Amino acid sequence: MSHLFSARAQMGTSLAFHIIFSVLGVGLPVLLCVAEGLALRYKDPHWMRLARQWSKAFAIVFAIGAVSGVIVEFEIALLWPSFARFIGGVAGLPFAMEGFAFFLEGIFLGLYLYGWNRLSPRAHWLCSFPLWISGGASAWFIMTANSWMNSPAGFTLKNGVITNVRPFAAIANPATPYETTHMILGCYVAVGFAVAAVYAFAWLRGQRTAYNRKGLLLGLAMASIAIPLQVVSGDPNARFLETSQPAKYAAMEGLLHSGRGQPLYILGIPDQKTGQVYLAIQIPHGESLLAHFNLNSYSKGLDQIPKADQPNAIVVHLTFDLMVFCGFFLLLAALLFWWFFLRGNRTLPDKRWLLWGLVACGPLGFLAIESGWMVTEEGRQPWVIYGIMRVSDAATPSPWVNVSFAIFSLVYVVLGATLVLLLLRLARNPLPERTWEEYFVTTPAPQAAISPDKMQEATE
Amino acid sequence: MILTGIVMALLWGCIIAYAVLGGADFGGGVWSLLASGPTAARQQRLIEHAIGPVWEANSVWLIYLVVGLLTAFPLVAYTLAVALFVPFTLALLGIVLRGAAFAFETHITGSVNLRQAWGHTFSTASTITPFLLGAGAAAVASGQIHYRNGAVQADRFTPWLMPFALVMGAVALSLCATLAAVYLTVEASHQKDHEMAEVFRLRALIAGAVTAGFGLLGLLLAPGEAPIIWHGLGHQALPVVIITMLLGLGTAFALYLRRYLLARGLVIAMTAGLLSAWGLAQMPYIVPPDLTLSNSASSPAMLGAFLGSAIVGMAFLLPSLWFLFRVFKGNQPTPAVRGRDLEES
Repeated sequence: MSHLFSARAQMGTSLAFHIIFSVLGVGLPVLLCVAEGLALRYKDPHWMRLARQWSKAFAIVFAIGAVSGVIVEFEIALLWPSFARFIGGVAGLPFAMEGFAFFLEGIFLGLYLYGWNRLSPRAHWLCSFPLWISGGASAWFIMTANSWMNSPAGFTLKNGVITNVRPFAAIANPATPYETTHMILGCYVAVGFAVAAVYAFAWLRGQRTAYNRKGLLLGLAMASIAIPLQVVSGDPNARFLETSQPAKYAAMEGLLHSGRGQPLYILGIPDQKTGQVYLAIQIPHGESLLAHFNLNSYSKGLDQIPKADQPNAIVVHLTFDLMVFCGFFLLLAALLFWWFFLRGNRTLPDKRWLLWGLVACGPLGFLAIESGWMVTEEGRQPWVIYGIMRVSDAATPSPWVNVSFAIFSLVYVVLGATLVLLLLRLARNPLPERTWEEYFVTTPAPQAAISPDKMQEATE
Repeated sequence: MILTGIVMALLWGCIIAYAVLGGADFGGGVWSLLASGPTAARQQRLIEHAIGPVWEANSVWLIYLVVGLLTAFPLVAYTLAVALFVPFTLALLGIVLRGAAFAFETHITGSVNLRQAWGHTFSTASTITPFLLGAGAAAVASGQIHYRNGAVQADRFTPWLMPFALVMGAVALSLCATLAAVYLTVEASHQKDHEMAEVFRLRALIAGAVTAGFGLLGLLLAPGEAPIIWHGLGHQALPVVIITMLLGLGTAFALYLRRYLLARGLVIAMTAGLLSAWGLAQMPYIVPPDLTLSNSASSPAMLGAFLGSAIVGMAFLLPSLWFLFRVFKGNQPTPAVRGRDLEES
């Protein structure tokens, strides 16, 4: 395995792993906040039970998210020291700000998890607000840094020396509005569908309880608000890319040649060696129409990009199609569900195919995230900072990167397996059902002075 | 220059906070590994209870230190990432495994074997990691990591595997153990568990003595292997060195008198003193002998923005932390209006 490939594989594996937990960390707190709010508003024990069940899952997920985030952060410096040095001096600020957002999320998660019996119901509910606000803020900061890699701004490069650094201009780089919106919406889509999928599965297995119904509806409600916005936000993203990163755009669309009246390629293998697109479904003039609302408009292909600066079109095109497919599948599933739901007097539609479709939406939401992230990262190749620094120039000179790749891969397998096991156990042994009064009965509890204290001692 | 100094002081503060908070978490793992005698299970329970679920919050100091270094002193981050790739990768592995292991150990119900396996992972990783971090710090202090003509020049192994570095690794490890043992005496006496308090009082005294022993050994090795530090310790850092030693003796004395709260305050001050002495001793170098505060810092614009963001961040963070402590540590905690929930947690 080549040195560069090992470094890329290790970074890619780490990010692919971490992104799942970051997404959950952005999306789940919103559901917690709404579920607990509904519980308090309607004095509804089911909503309360859902909030508590989710908070238990969130505790484990957050821990693994924190751990995998530390890995990513160290690896940026350890695997790509030259890149880290460059981005640190120009666009390091969002990382530092994210540190605070993450800290706040950690603090309020502690309050939320261990404060059920220490805080008044309303104060406890209010603690869920900083959770989702700081979760969203974290995502925003990190995405500005990623946007900067795609459209570097906020500095002047003279003979290889960085001057005139403007940290806030780096944060507000041209790609920031597009990437941050698309990613944060993606979090809500993926988490909403994942939660709905869990309860759709329970429903399919015959557990037709009010609890499962509410879990499904709330997850799907969040996803259904976000998914149309997400599909719509994809469009300006692609338009922006056509001018800002033409190589990425051409690779996404599988356009190997420049010209007028470009077809839209669905699937297929755009072979950069032969200049042919094999096995694609072609919609004549489709790309030109979608991109410029003009059947015979001109679009740039990869042939305008020097060979050494081209990304791998096969990977970028196929992951792009996968993301788009997932997005439209999710949109369709949401539309069909609400159509049948509203027609059937707000009862869950008794259609097995529809419920199985919702179950499929769970993994598909995350698949969309992973493939979309592949599009943006693979599409930027061979650059790590677009037009400025190549990935091959950023990699660490240290040997043994392949060894560390092997070790960390193993760590991810073990962590992933244990986590799945824990979450499955949690799902199989849900919290006991209680009436509303039982949640709030004041009982003299002998451990009261000890068990919630867990928080403070380690912080000292 | 003043701005650079302030930012460096902020980052050094993060090192101290991580040592005092995260270090004790590592130390807890060490004592979990060394738990023995008829009360072994009780010791482990107390440790688990004390480390609690906030190791995430404690590890934020390390995260912030890394991003802060990247942002404010990118050349230092670059140099250390290249020169100390091996020990830092290993330490990262340790940090990750102990964090995940602790989370899993806490949440696993049912399977005893699985729980035990993660428990062992937790305590082993907790022992190895501070050693590596201490050795890494010694490598920085040794003056053997060079940055010349735009390239890092350092042996891959010598700086962090020479005797001075190994001794400093041992200092870091035993310091973590001391911190944890002192904190645990406070925890135990809060719970009116005087037997446990005695157990950890003895351990704190032993670990403290070991720390002092290794520390003196480090001082003996320093003139040969870390001359810049040695010179600084005898000059600008000398008052802090003396104060640190007195604080160490004070900690031991407070433990001897069973004044646990006082001992906790003193051991924290001693740790801060130790790290400050190191920092002062190698002023104005960050990575001696080539990288100084002034030749490795980011542009003033970036330093200013970093400091500004830290101040804004603190404005959110400090009230939140205060609230966290008030809720869980206040003298008159809110009555348990949700008593039933206790069964769940």
